[in-house]
Parts: sequence; structure tokens; C-alpha cells
Amino acid sequence: MADTQQPLDLILARNLMSVLETPSFLVDDSGVLVFFNEAAGEMLGQRFEETGRLARDRWSAIGPVDGDGNALNAEPLTVALREGRPSHGQFHIYTDQNRIVEVETSAVPLVSGGDFHGALVLFWPVEP
Amino acid sequence: MKVRFWGVRGSVSVAEQGSMRYGGNTSCVSVELAGGGRLVLDAGTGIRTLGATIDPTAAPIHIMLTHLHLDHISGLLFFAPLFHPDADVTIWGPPGVGGLRERLARYLSAPLSPVEIRELPAKVTFRECTPEGWQVGAAKITATQVIHRGPTLGYRIEEENVALAYIPDHEPGLGQDLERDDARWISGHALACNASLLIHDGQYTESEYKMTVGWGHSLVADALTFAYRTEARRVALFHHDPGHDDAALDAIAEEAHATWRGDGELSLAREGEDIHLT
Repeated sequence: MADTQQPLDLILARNLMSVLETPSFLVDDSGVLVFFNEAAGEMLGQRFEETGRLARDRWSAIGPVDGDGNALNAEPLTVALREGRPSHGQFHIYTDQNRIVEVETSAVPLVSGGDFHGALVLFWPVEP
Repeated sequence: MKVRFWGVRGSVSVAEQGSMRYGGNTSCVSVELAGGGRLVLDAGTGIRTLGATIDPTAAPIHIMLTHLHLDHISGLLFFAPLFHPDADVTIWGPPGVGGLRERLARYLSAPLSPVEIRELPAKVTFRECTPEGWQVGAAKITATQVIHRGPTLGYRIEEENVALAYIPDHEPGLGQDLERDDARWISGHALACNASLLIHDGQYTESEYKMTVGWGHSLVADALTFAYRTEARRVALFHHDPGHDDAALDAIAEEAHATWRGDGELSLAREGEDIHLT
């Protein structure tokens, strides 16, 4: 058999994200960024086709931070990954031009067959 | 490993004379393992004919359901071994909300059935498949969830140097670039990779698929791309649409052959056909 298939909930989440115009990230159970869609790529100034999957320490450079650029620890994705529950919040991230923008975020844990497989994270820029 | 098609039709059985060359029964495939033991893949109406041909007490029978849509379970009530008190039958199926037995009992109970599931005379065990797989004799069985409506499995059966992949209800092209996406992100790819025989959904033509996207079945062209990516050594398109008579299926086969890029043999599955895998 070939490499193990990704969990079906991750595959379906990725398929959904690929047609959404809402910037979104897909993170596996270990915090690796396994996909981000075109809209998220525009926000970050990178395309997933170029970066591929990114370990946590590589993609955490975008944030989360407060309005002054100080790192935050308890944003929605962390809650979803650590506690396995959905979470919603507002914080700032760095974009491609090292600008800080405020975003509103929802993170939804993906659980199927009793197993936690990761989280889907949706971003909405907060209009100034 | 000997594979026989007892039912190759999808959705609902057909009885028209003009469809009998490919067959009218819904999904059922038997697998005789080289090391002994019998597996039955799905319990569509084709399982009735199979049941009449086997000694129900000769060996334990493993029925492996991909999912619980009616065309995959409607033959259960007509499978003779379930009515033999000395038969030992294990029914495997996808995990889901409520136990497998309870979910099947929705069909095998009043008012849909004259016989309640608890009244089946055979010794019947219900098992939900787990990702780590299991053994039947020398064969290793793997079940993985695949894209279809509701919890649905594909199976891979490996024995010695032979691997059979069975994914009868599957829409891997839904929201996916089957040509280019990483194989780990293609539903069912790992099950079918380098299989000696891949039995795969090939229900819809291009014009039909425009109306059926998201129903959980494959456009023939997507089935071929999926099969090509898996490098399966032989491919049998399966789950034929009930609206496709023999002439329509011949036309689909002709077009499929014209566009097939793989090295392996390609065919449309036919009821009664035997395939020996060595």
C-alpha cells in the first residue's frame, strides 16, 4: 500500500476550502499547516503550491500578535488544538509586507471516528 | 484469489432484457482466498444468487459492507446462510452513529421486513471496521473511509502477492484535482495503489454528471484518472447506472478504452464474471 491516506475529514475540509473565498488554514493534529487556500495565500503573499506543508515554527511567524506585535498564546487555533473545542477570537497577524492587520478567526476541531485529526481555521480581516 | 461478480449494478436492480449481458443485480462480489476462506463484498441483490451456491457451514462467512445504502444491503434478507442455524457469519461495516447492528436493524425490521434481525437463525456477529485493519486467514484486510454520502468504506484485501481494491461508491474527483494533487490527499488512493485489481465506481457519463455532482459517484473520466494515478494493474468499472442498458455500457466501454492511459487491463464489470488473481 502507498503512503497512508489523510483522514477523510481533512480531505473534505481541504476540498471545501479550495473553493472558498474566505481565507482559511487547515492544520493537522500536530499543528503542521497542511493546506491554505488561495484567499489565505493572497493575505500571506505566498501560494500553497510553492510552500507546501509548513511546520508550526515556520508558519507561526505570521502571529498571532497584539496590535503592538507582541506574541499571543491563547488564540482560537491553540484552543482548538489543545482542548479540542471550537473557538472564536480577534487578534493581529503579519501579512506579506510585514504589515500588522487585525483579523477575526474561527477555529473548528475536526473529529471523526472518535479521533482528533486537526482544525479548520477561517479568517476575516477586521475593517478599520 | 478468485473474484466473482454477483451484482455490478448501482442504485437499484434492473430486470430489462436489454441489460442482462452486464447484469441487473446490485453490488455483490465474492472473494475466495487462496489460503481458504470466503469474503463477500457488499450485500446487494446479487448476494441472493451467491447464497444458493455455498455450503453455509463449510467455513465462516465474512460479509464486508462498504456502507448501508439499500443497494448494498437489500440482499441480506435473501442470503440463505443467514437462515441456517449452524452458519457463522460476520458482518463488517463502517463505524457511524449507533452500532452497526442497530443501523442495519432499521432495514431488517418491521415494517420494512417480515423478519427481525434478532430472528436470524445463523450465528451473526456485527463488527465495525477499524483503521488498523484485520486478518482473515492469511489475508490482510484494510478498510478506509472514502468520499461518498454518509460513512462509506473502501476495502483492500492483500494475500501473498495479490491485492484487490474494492471502492464501488466513490467520488474522488469532488473538489479535487485528480491529475495533480498529492496522492495522500486523494480519497481511496492508498487503498488502490498498485492493486492487482481495482473495482471502482464508474457510474456517470459527462452529461449525467452535470446533474449529479456531489451524489457520491464517479464520472467515468474521473474513475479512469483515479485508476491511472493508482497504477492499478487491472481495472473493472463497477456500479453501473440502472439507466444504462447493454448498448449504453458498450458505448461507455468503447469511450473508456479510447481514453485509458494506464498499462493495466480495463473493463466494465459483468455479472457472473470470474477473475483469477495470481
